[in-house]
Amino acid sequence: MNNSAEEKDIREDIAWAQINKDVMKSLESPRPIYWVMFAGALAMLLVGVGCEIYQYQVGLGVANFSNPHVWGLYIATFIFWIGMSHSGTLLSAILHLMHADWRKPIYRFAEAMTTFSLMTAGLFVAVHLGRVWNIYWAIPYPNDRGIWPNFQSPLLWDAMAIFTYLTSSIIFLYIGSIPDLAICRDNTTGWRKKLYTMLSLGWMGTDRQWRNFRKTYLLIACFLIPLAVSVHSIVASDFAMSQQPGWHITSFPPYFVAGALYSGCAAIITLFIILRYTFRFEEYMTLPILDKTARLTFAIAMVWTYLNLIEYASVWYGHDMYSKEILIQKATGPYAPFWWAMNFCGSVVPFLLAFKSLRRHIPTMMVASLLLNLGMWLERWMIVAPTYSHGYYPYTWDHDQWPSFVQWGIVFGSFGWFGLLFMGFCKIIPSVSMYEVKEMVYHRTLERRKETEWKGEKA
Amino acid sequence: MSVTSLVEFWPQKRVTHPNDDPQGLLAHKEYKWAMAIDLDTCTGCNACTTACYAENNLPVVGKTKFEHGQQMHWLRIERYWDEEDREFPEQGAKFLPMMCQQCEAAPCETVCPVGATNHTPDGLNSQVYNRCIGSRYCSANCPFKVRYFNWYDYSDDKAEAFAWPSPLEQQLNPDITVRSKGVMEKCTFCVQRLYTAKNKARSEGRLVKDGEVTTACAQACPTSAITFGNLLDPESAVHKMWQTQQVDIAKDEQHKTDALRGYRIFEELRPYPSVMYMERLREADV
Amino acid sequence: MSKRRIMGLFNDFEEAHSAIAELLDANIKGFTRDDITLKSPIEHPEVEQVLGERPVKVQRFTFFGALFGGITAFTLIASAQATFLMQSKGGKPIVPIPPDLVLTYEMFILGGVLMTVLGFLIGAGLPSRRSSLYNVKVSEDQIGVLLNLEERNMQAAKDLLRKHNVLEIMEEVRK
Repeated sequence: MNNSAEEKDIREDIAWAQINKDVMKSLESPRPIYWVMFAGALAMLLVGVGCEIYQYQVGLGVANFSNPHVWGLYIATFIFWIGMSHSGTLLSAILHLMHADWRKPIYRFAEAMTTFSLMTAGLFVAVHLGRVWNIYWAIPYPNDRGIWPNFQSPLLWDAMAIFTYLTSSIIFLYIGSIPDLAICRDNTTGWRKKLYTMLSLGWMGTDRQWRNFRKTYLLIACFLIPLAVSVHSIVASDFAMSQQPGWHITSFPPYFVAGALYSGCAAIITLFIILRYTFRFEEYMTLPILDKTARLTFAIAMVWTYLNLIEYASVWYGHDMYSKEILIQKATGPYAPFWWAMNFCGSVVPFLLAFKSLRRHIPTMMVASLLLNLGMWLERWMIVAPTYSHGYYPYTWDHDQWPSFVQWGIVFGSFGWFGLLFMGFCKIIPSVSMYEVKEMVYHRTLERRKETEWKGEKA
Repeated sequence: MSVTSLVEFWPQKRVTHPNDDPQGLLAHKEYKWAMAIDLDTCTGCNACTTACYAENNLPVVGKTKFEHGQQMHWLRIERYWDEEDREFPEQGAKFLPMMCQQCEAAPCETVCPVGATNHTPDGLNSQVYNRCIGSRYCSANCPFKVRYFNWYDYSDDKAEAFAWPSPLEQQLNPDITVRSKGVMEKCTFCVQRLYTAKNKARSEGRLVKDGEVTTACAQACPTSAITFGNLLDPESAVHKMWQTQQVDIAKDEQHKTDALRGYRIFEELRPYPSVMYMERLREADV
Repeated sequence: MSKRRIMGLFNDFEEAHSAIAELLDANIKGFTRDDITLKSPIEHPEVEQVLGERPVKVQRFTFFGALFGGITAFTLIASAQATFLMQSKGGKPIVPIPPDLVLTYEMFILGGVLMTVLGFLIGAGLPSRRSSLYNVKVSEDQIGVLLNLEERNMQAAKDLLRKHNVLEIMEEVRK
C-alpha cells in the first residue's frame, strides 16, 4: 500500500473528536451565501409552480402537446429523476455489501439525493396528468363503486414501485442516520436538541443496539438493491411493454437501470465537489475517493454505451422496418442534434474519466459530471419524442412537436425543488456519516498497525 | 360475496384471446359490432366526419389548433397521393376513413392505469370519460393513433377554447356528454345509438335486426361506403361482406385469394381490429 | 442486596475488552454477562469475543414480513381483478400472472423492509429513555463499560477498572 498522502482514501490519524467537530460545523447556522442560494432555488421552483398553475387552468394544450405527440418532457424528466435516485442505492447498498469502505464519507448525501430525487419525480407524475385532481384513483383503495385501478398497466406498477422505493429510501436514510442524530443531540442546544432527541430515539450506542443496527442495515441494503433494479425496470416497462417501435425493446429494462446508475454516479460527483468546497470536507471527501467514484462512473458509462450500441445493432439485424426507420429518424431527423449530443455526452465525455490526472482535477470533474447528466437527460427525451414522430402510422409522420415554455419552466422548477430539499437536508442531517468515518479510520489504523508489526517481524 | 359472484360469473366473463378462439368470438354472445368500408366507393367528401362531429358533440378547435395537431375528429379522412405517371396530381388521390378500430385485443386497454378503457360484451372498446385521469398511455400505445385528447376546456363557457358559443349549443346531442379537459375520447361506434336500439329490441324480446341501427358516419355517407352491423348475425350485411372477403376476425394473417379486396390495417401487430377495409381498385392494375 | 450501576470510560477497545474479560474471570457471585453493557461510538462486533455471542432476531421479522407482504399483495390484487369483472380487457385473462407477479415482488420487498424496521426497534429496544449513566463522550470517541453490580462488589470492580486505565467512573446517584 502506497503510504503517500495522495493515495490514501483518508488519513488514519484523524481524531474521532475532530470528525465530530468538523461535521457538526456544517450544521451550524448558515452563512449569507446559503440564503442566496436558497432564494435562487426558491425562485426556480416558483417559475415551475407558475407554469403549472397556468397549465392546470387552461389545459395541457399549452405545453404544445398534440396528436400523436402525447408525451414530452414531463415523462422524460420523470425518468431522469428516478434514474438519478439510483445513486444512493448504488453507493449505500451495493458498495456496502461489497465492503468498499471508501464509500463511507460520501454515502449519506447520496442516500439523501435518492430520497429527494424520488420526491421530485413524483411531481412529474402529477404535472403530466390531464386531470391531476383525480390522481388518487391510481391508488388501490376500497370504494363503494368497487372499482380498482388497472393492475396490468405499467404506469400503475410505477405508482406502486415508486411508493415502495420512496418509503424504503426514507427508512434507510433515517435508520442509517440514527447514531449520527445521537451525536447531534449530544452537541446541540435548544430546539435543535429537542429535535435530535426525538429523532435519535434514545440511541446510546450499547452493544445490543449496535448488533441489531448492523443486521438491520445489512438486511435493508439487501432489499434495496433488487428494489432499485426493479423500480427502474418497471419505469422502463412503461416503454418496453408498449407496442410502439423504438420502445418495444427487450433490452430497455437493463438499459434504463444502467443509465440510472450512470446519471446517479455523475450527480454524486457534482454534489461531492459542491459539498467538499462548501463545508470544507477536504479531509473526508478526499481526492482518492473522488478518483474511485470517477472510475466507477467510467465503468458504468461503458456499460451504458454498450447497451446503447447493442440496441442499434439489434435494429440493424432485425427486419422490422418501423424500428429501422425510427433509428434513422433519430440520427437524421429534426431531433438529430439532440440525439448526437446525447451520444457524445454519454459515450465520449466519460473518457475524460479515464485519465488519472483529470480525475483529480476538480473543475474538469465538475464540468464532466454536468455534461454526463445532460447526456442522460437527453437520452430520456430521445426515447420519448422520436417514437411519436415516426410511429407505425404514416399519416402521423413528419409532424414534429417541440416543448413549449411551460414544459421547460416546469423542468427548470424541478431542479429548484430538488435544490431546496437538498439544502434543507444539509443543515439538518449531517451530510457526512460521522460514525462510519470513525469506523473507516479505526479499521485503517488497525490495518496500518498490523502492517507495521508484520514489517517489524520481517526485519 | 366476492367469491360467490366470482364463481357464478366466471364462465361468462372469461375473456378469450382471439388466437384461442378459432370458431370466432366466444367472448361475444349476442352482438359483435363491426364495420366494412369500401375504399373504392369512398369519394373523400367528409360527410361522415361532419356527421360524427354533429352526433358526438365534437368540438371544432379552429385552424391554429388543428394545424398544431390538436384536432378532435374521431373519424378522419386521410388523403394519400399516388403521384406516379399522372398528368394531374389530383388524379392519384386516395381516401381512407380512419376511426377507432375497436380492436379485440386492444393495446390501449391493458395500459390505462385507472382502467378507463375496457372491452364490452358487445365487442366495443369502451372509453369511460369520468374515470379517465388523462395519462395518455392509451394513445401512446395505439398503433392507429385514433385516440384524441381534450387538450383544452372546450366545454367551459368561460374558457378561451369554448367551442359552442350561443346558439351553437342548440346543436348538441343530448344522448351523449360533452367532455371536459384532460379526458381522452375516441370513436365509440355511436354507442348511444346502439344502447337505445338494444334496449328497444330487448323490451320486444328480440335482438337488434340488421339495418335497425347504424352509426352516424354510415348514415351520412352518400355512396354507402361504410357498412355497419352485427358480425354475429348471419343475415347482416357486414357479416356477409366479411365472409365474401374471407376476412376472419380472429386471425392475424388471412389466407385468401389475392383477388379479394378485403383487408384490415396493421393485422400483423395483432390488435384484431373490427373494421375491414376493401381496397380501391380504380385506376389500379386489375 | 440492591444492585447499582457504574460506568467506566475507556480510551480504546483493547482496554475495555481486557477490563471486561478480567471482570468475568473474577467470577463474582451474582454477576453475569448480562450485567455488562458496552457503549461505543462505532459498532464493534469483536465485543462478542468477550461478552459471548448474542443472537439477533431481526431476520425473523424480515422473513415473515416479506412473506406476508407478498402473499397479501397477490391475494388482494387477484381478488380485485377477479371480482370487478366490468373492467375486463380484450384478449387478456382476468387474473393475469405477469403483472400480478411484478406487483407481488414490489410488495414483498416493502413488507420485508417495514417488518425489518419493526424488528430493529424491538430488538434494539428503541425508542428508549436515556439512562442517567450516559456520557456524551461515548458518541464522540470514548468507550463506556456499564456494570450492574451489587454494592459489596463495587469497590473491587472500581479497582479493576482503574487498573485498566479507566478515564472516568460515573456512578448512578441513588435517590
